Amino acid sequence: MKRRPSQSTSPHCVESEHTWHRRKFLQGLGTGIAGSMFSWSGLMTPQMFAEAAKKQQKSCILLWLCGAPSQFETWDPKPGRPTSGPFGHIPTRIPGIHFSELMPHCASIADKLSVIRSMKTEPTEHFQGIDRLNRGAAPRPPFVRPTLGSVLGQQLGQLESPIPNFILLDPCPEGNEFKSFKRGNWAGWLGAEYGPVRLGGDYKIPDVQKLSDITTQDHEEREALRRFLTRKFENERQSAAAASQNAAFERVKGLMSCADLFDLEKLPQNDRERYGQGTFGQHTLLARHLVENGAPFVMVANGMPWDCHVFQHENYQMLVPDLDNIIYQLVTDLEDRGMLENTLVVMMGEFGRTPWLNASRGRDHYPNAWSMAMAGCGIQQGVVVGETDQDGIEVIDKPFDEKNLFATLFSALGIDPYAAYDLPGLPTFHRVEQEASPIKEVLL
Amino acid sequence: MKLSLSKEIKLPTAALGLSSIPKSDHVLVSCFNGSVLLLDPAEESWKQVGTHSSYASGVVTVLDGKMAVSAGYDGVLQWHDLQSNKTLAVEKIHNFWSWQLKASPDGHLAASVTGQYLCGGYKYEPGKEKEPSIKVFDTTTRATIAAFNHLPPVLSAAFSPDSTHLAAANMMGDIKVWNLKTKELVREWNTPDFTSWGVIKSHHYIGGIFDMHFSPDGKRLLVCGMGPMRDPMAGNGKQTWQEFDWQSPEATKTREIKDDERGRGLMETLCWHPSMPVFCMAGRMAQGNWNTAIFSSESGSLIQGIDNKTRITRGIFLENGRQLILAGAKSQGAPEKGKWKEFGRLFIYDVSP
Repeated sequence: MKRRPSQSTSPHCVESEHTWHRRKFLQGLGTGIAGSMFSWSGLMTPQMFAEAAKKQQKSCILLWLCGAPSQFETWDPKPGRPTSGPFGHIPTRIPGIHFSELMPHCASIADKLSVIRSMKTEPTEHFQGIDRLNRGAAPRPPFVRPTLGSVLGQQLGQLESPIPNFILLDPCPEGNEFKSFKRGNWAGWLGAEYGPVRLGGDYKIPDVQKLSDITTQDHEEREALRRFLTRKFENERQSAAAASQNAAFERVKGLMSCADLFDLEKLPQNDRERYGQGTFGQHTLLARHLVENGAPFVMVANGMPWDCHVFQHENYQMLVPDLDNIIYQLVTDLEDRGMLENTLVVMMGEFGRTPWLNASRGRDHYPNAWSMAMAGCGIQQGVVVGETDQDGIEVIDKPFDEKNLFATLFSALGIDPYAAYDLPGLPTFHRVEQEASPIKEVLL
Repeated sequence: MKLSLSKEIKLPTAALGLSSIPKSDHVLVSCFNGSVLLLDPAEESWKQVGTHSSYASGVVTVLDGKMAVSAGYDGVLQWHDLQSNKTLAVEKIHNFWSWQLKASPDGHLAASVTGQYLCGGYKYEPGKEKEPSIKVFDTTTRATIAAFNHLPPVLSAAFSPDSTHLAAANMMGDIKVWNLKTKELVREWNTPDFTSWGVIKSHHYIGGIFDMHFSPDGKRLLVCGMGPMRDPMAGNGKQTWQEFDWQSPEATKTREIKDDERGRGLMETLCWHPSMPVFCMAGRMAQGNWNTAIFSSESGSLIQGIDNKTRITRGIFLENGRQLILAGAKSQGAPEKGKWKEFGRLFIYDVSP
């Protein structure tokens, strides 16, 4: 857009004085209407925020194993059975408990983890499973329940934070059903400001750089004007959408101030090597770094690599050892940094995989009996709860569904799982419906 | 030439490896449950001659049929005396799976290939070798006579007809040929037509060259697998074989399967007829008309395609050329009333000119 040349109204004024006064005027209007929106830029740098957050911030890192990982090749092996597959099992630090032989590192820190072997859910297809395990309940259209990240971002996040309260690290633009989910409404009735900021790829923040052909002053003036006009619209029309969009713009500006936090090249090379060279490992390291600097919720994904209908064992020989190392590095790093007791780490997909092999020697979708793991904030250490039968076909002890899981996650983070949402004009919704019990065995 | 189904034999678990025995109508089959079976197709009966602790991936006969050698996902090589029905030796040869085991035509050598696919880069490029990916054994002394290096996972190998050269190929389509006398690498090249990097899902590498065979005159090398896919989980890459003049400096590709003669699916086995100018390729069909096909070695054209609705992992022509035997598996499926299905298969086809 070509700018009009400025026109002075007085022969005694100079351009710079008008510019300065205009900027201050617009800032003042904005401050008078919504002072808190300006507070981060004036009062708190990202570094200061991080220091304050470290002292009291609870956080959550979700390692989202999209596509649905096989429980047989991870947490619940069945050696010697027709369902075993080619991989064996190894003892862990929990007496009597074995993991897949592909997970020696997790076996060595099993006493820091909680593993649930008895997840039993309903959705059999990816989109429905992703939706269910991210929202913690079945859909009830037209109402859209917020995802775990949105709720935790709201509950654990700070209004003045320059760092987004919900970060999704996923470099993959494709992914079939996960791609569809990513395009959907993450924040539901909480509003757009609680949706994820999605990043990844080259470890930089794309499209969040100030235009090179405008000055910082111009940029701030435009932003102040936009904020003034939007707030005026909100007040006159009582528009929730405008409020959400206003908050979204605030987030973008906050991102620009903390862009360096998302630059993996600024992290020690030794750390990058430890987490493994692949995308998922590098983004998990980034998640640790972001949480260390005050991010309340980071979700790490990499498309849908776990959906192995074909080449099951050929893929898992690589995927599982990579994941094994990543979990080990993350949990031990958090512990070494004194962060584990305030950081909840969740490792799961949307369901499990069939005990039997299909005609391609792959495993298909299986929600009837599957496994997941957790560690950190509010979670017991060295616990394995639930059991499947000798072939992993059915849960035979302590079945849990997504509601039990979400009750557990909220409880672990000190959030009331049964609180009702304040949604004037809508039916009553609770964070966890039907007062589903948390999985007490894994809670501290 | 025409194939007609003579017999279908059910096995308790998937069959992965298959070998004929010279001057015998018995065959050897290696299976998912680690068993190595000496099977009589006529009687549809078998006895177990060996056991691996994981999938038994391959079995070959050597020394004029006196000895069988088997290998498995346990990384172990086993030597079985077929006359005394005793396992003479069990040796850990790899830290990871034996992907494939082959015997030289003269029966004096056996080769096993290995390698675990581990993440070696941001896009999950394969990590470096941690042990020699190819090992060659003297079948008389059972000693290792050569160990060669290749980027893992190395999925297939082949001996030249005069047993002087060994070829091996990996997941990335890299093919190498060594002179077994001098141990020198004499040729290496790449074909990109068998490897996928998943764009839709599976954002890493998969696929590769699943089998290879020298032509009977030793001048050409035939390889097979599945064509590249954007979504490997669909398993719908094109059924593919390619042939190379491996002795030319550039290892020129001389032929490949014709596009209008192929469907989609993973091709896992190649075998040459002992006397007729034909070869067989078989595997799994995702889309199309056949999972097993006979091609003219003169024209490269499809002669006959068959769909036995099975994932075939190994095929052999018998010494007399009158039968083609295929080993593989159907879907394992859920157990019924606590009983698991017999999902391994052996197909016996009669070959007529």
